[in-house]
Parts: sequence; structure tokens; C-alpha cells
Amino acid sequence: MPVDRMRICGPEETRHPLVLELCGRPVRLFQDDGTRLDGRSADQIRPMFMKCGVISHAQGSAYIEMDRTKAICAVYGPREFGKREDFSIKGRLTCEFKFATFSCKIRRQQQQDAEEKEFSQILLQSLSPAVCLHKFPKAQVDIYVMVLENDGSALSAALTCGSLALADAGIEMYDMVVACSVKHYCKSTLMDPSASEESELEPEGTSTEEKPAETGLLTVAYMPSLNQLPGMLQTGEMSIATTKQVNSKRAVDCCVLRVLLKRNLLQFIAVSS
Amino acid sequence: MSSSQKRLCIPGQRLCQTDDDHTPGSGTYSRGSFIYASLAGYVHIRADKDRGSVLEVRGEVERSTVPFVGAIVTAKVTHVNPRYCKCAIFCVEDSVLQESFRGQIRREDVRATEKDRVEMYRCFRPGDLILARVLSLGDMHSYLLTTAENELGVVIAQSEAGVTMIPVSWTEMQCPKTFAKEHRKVARIAPPSDSAVN
Repeated sequence: MPVDRMRICGPEETRHPLVLELCGRPVRLFQDDGTRLDGRSADQIRPMFMKCGVISHAQGSAYIEMDRTKAICAVYGPREFGKREDFSIKGRLTCEFKFATFSCKIRRQQQQDAEEKEFSQILLQSLSPAVCLHKFPKAQVDIYVMVLENDGSALSAALTCGSLALADAGIEMYDMVVACSVKHYCKSTLMDPSASEESELEPEGTSTEEKPAETGLLTVAYMPSLNQLPGMLQTGEMSIATTKQVNSKRAVDCCVLRVLLKRNLLQFIAVSS
Repeated sequence: MSSSQKRLCIPGQRLCQTDDDHTPGSGTYSRGSFIYASLAGYVHIRADKDRGSVLEVRGEVERSTVPFVGAIVTAKVTHVNPRYCKCAIFCVEDSVLQESFRGQIRREDVRATEKDRVEMYRCFRPGDLILARVLSLGDMHSYLLTTAENELGVVIAQSEAGVTMIPVSWTEMQCPKTFAKEHRKVARIAPPSDSAVN
């Protein structure tokens, strides 16, 4: 296309001003008394609510709320392979993760974008080792997770919800999967960060100091009975030592999560029988 | 005689040690020297003479299973071909599936006798409800089924007039409206023993 040299043209690309405003605003992590913005201590996870059997058409389903983060999961199957390309003696698992268009601060697309595709892969990677795939040969189990409101730790909510829905569906599993997110910022480690804590931020008063070297978000999936980590996602910059230290902290939380999960599932079975 | 303990468990929960007295059953698995649950439900301990006590975990609702080799399945015939017939499997043993699986019956698996003189169109028609046994997992498209037993074959079929037919022999069914006879591979269904005759 010929360039117009007679006029001074504006830039070809334009950006929404809201995006620039959200990125540049610094937010304080801690209040004056040392607690986080929502009153929790650094090691505290948010109150949770879980319920099974919320979707009547699905084989199994679960709903989870971690304060304001809400996720719902439906499990269908075992049913015939969708794509009949290869014959396999083991079953197959497919996962689909989606943020609802109204769930995040900025409206999401209706189609899965790159982040949701990555989360779907993590879901698949973390839930596959827990399921007894050899019990349903030539069949597949479909897991659909939708995040209704994202106030931080959406992936860990989705993972926990997914494993609860699988148990509700009666799919044989080696172990339950629980997941937890941890945000590491300078020297402080925050468990189960909310959305404002998750985003990149600079604490007040550091304009003259160096930029903090280690900031990162770590989401870990854990199988408590087998003591294995089926999935891990880390964003940001963290040294190996810091990662190890952060990892050990989340172990405690995952055990707590498992207890909650167990209690909820057992209650559901007892009520429905 | 079976004794059951009403104990709840979740997948991954350790139930007991694997030794001569305890064996893992359905809904459980053994790893190392312990038996773990693989389903969420109630733990049942069943006494078995050969294997001591068998631990099983059963959920409160009968969950749908996948067709396995040797299972008796209920299917509906969808396509009939001179070499094979295709069907949609709806039930596996006693449990009804939420979504159907595809099955296939080859010409040589229809009858136990005179396998080479089978005419598919005189055994099955599209729309017939059949009882079959799973021979093998088959290929990627469908399970391989067989009706080569007296108790397997067509259970319910509709005549060309659209009326449910009554079986008159092992190879024929008769329409009660038009009295026309049609050829089918009829299943020998035993009458229920506790019928209201006595």
C-alpha cells in the first residue's frame, strides 16, 4: 500500500487506554498491621465452598468457590472416542478450560485464547496421572471447566474442582488432586493470591531502590496419598532455592485442601445414599 | 453370607494392608503393601472362600461401565450388510449407558452352526433390539459382538407393518396383525420364574 507522505499520520495501531492504566498502577501488598489487603496473613488461604452434583446432565460435576473465585466443572464419560484415529487399549482424557467472558476484569473472548489453551494442557497433564485410564479402554472422559469469576488462583480452583467432579462421576482414580497457588514477591510469600495480588505490582516507596529481583506465581497440583506432583506452572522469575522453599509451603496448604475436599465429598455421598 | 461395614472413603484413601486375609476387589487397587480405594463410596468387605476377605468400594449410584470382553450387551441394529451388521450398544449387563457405543456383528459370529450359510438379512433388520456378547474390543470404530448362542439374538423386532412381532421359532417371528412371518435369529429368553401364574 503506498505511504502517504504529504500528511503527518497517527500510529497504525491503537490500544485501549484502560489497559495502560491497569498496568501502571502500583498496589500495596500489606496493610499497616502486616495483614494482606483482605485481612489475611501471608500463609492463610481463603475460605472455600465446594459442592458436587450441580449439573444434572453430566456424569459428574462440581462447583468450587474460593472467596470470590468461582469455578464449575462437568465430567462426561466414559464415552466413545470423539476422533476415531487411533485404537488404544487405555482410555483417554480431554480437558477444556474456559474463562467465562464476564469473569475477568477485561472481557474475555468467546473462543479459547492462548492462556486458556495452556491451562487446558496443564489440567490434562495434572489430572491424567490420577485417573485409572486402563479401566475404560477405547473410551474417553471429557472434562469441561468454566471459571465464572476470576479473583486469583483460577487454575488451582479449576484443578481441585476437576478432580472433585471426576470423583463424583465415579471414574476410578488412584488419588484426588488438589492444587494451590503461591505468589512470591521479594522476600514475602503469599498463599492463594487474589487477582490484585497476582498481577505484577510494585510496592510503595521502591521507586528509588532496585527493581525486586524475584517475583513469581507458582501453581502446584499435588496428589496427597501418592505424594506426587502431577503438574506445576510457574510464571515470573524465581531462583531454584526460592522455588523449593515456596513449594514446601504449599504442601501444608494442599493437605488442608484435601481434608476439606474429603469432608465435602463424603457428606455428599452420605446425603445422596 | 457377606458382611458389610458402612465406612465412607474417597479415592486414594488407604484402607488396609494387603495380606493373605485381604484382597483388593472392584473399586480398589493395591500399591506397595496396602490396599487403597479408587472410588468415592462405601467400603464393603465380602467374605470369599478362595481369597479371604475381598474389599470393594461401591458408590451410591450404579455408575455406567464400558463394554468389556464377555459382557452381555443390549444393542439396537442400525445397518445391515451381507458381511456384517452394525449396532448401537445401549446397555452393558444391568447398567444403562448414558451414551451409546458402536458394535459390529460379523457374518461368522451370528450363529454357532452353519456359519458359512448365514444370510444377514434373514437374521437381523435395522431397528431390532438384540442381546449379544462382547467378543473383543474390535478396532477403533466398533466393538466386536457375537450372537452365536441360543440365549442371544433378536429380542424385540417390528414387522413391516410396524407392529411388535411374536417369536414362533428360533428363526422366525410372526406379526400379530398381518400374520406374516419374518426371518430373524431369535434369542431364547427364559420366562421369569416368579410370574403371576401360581
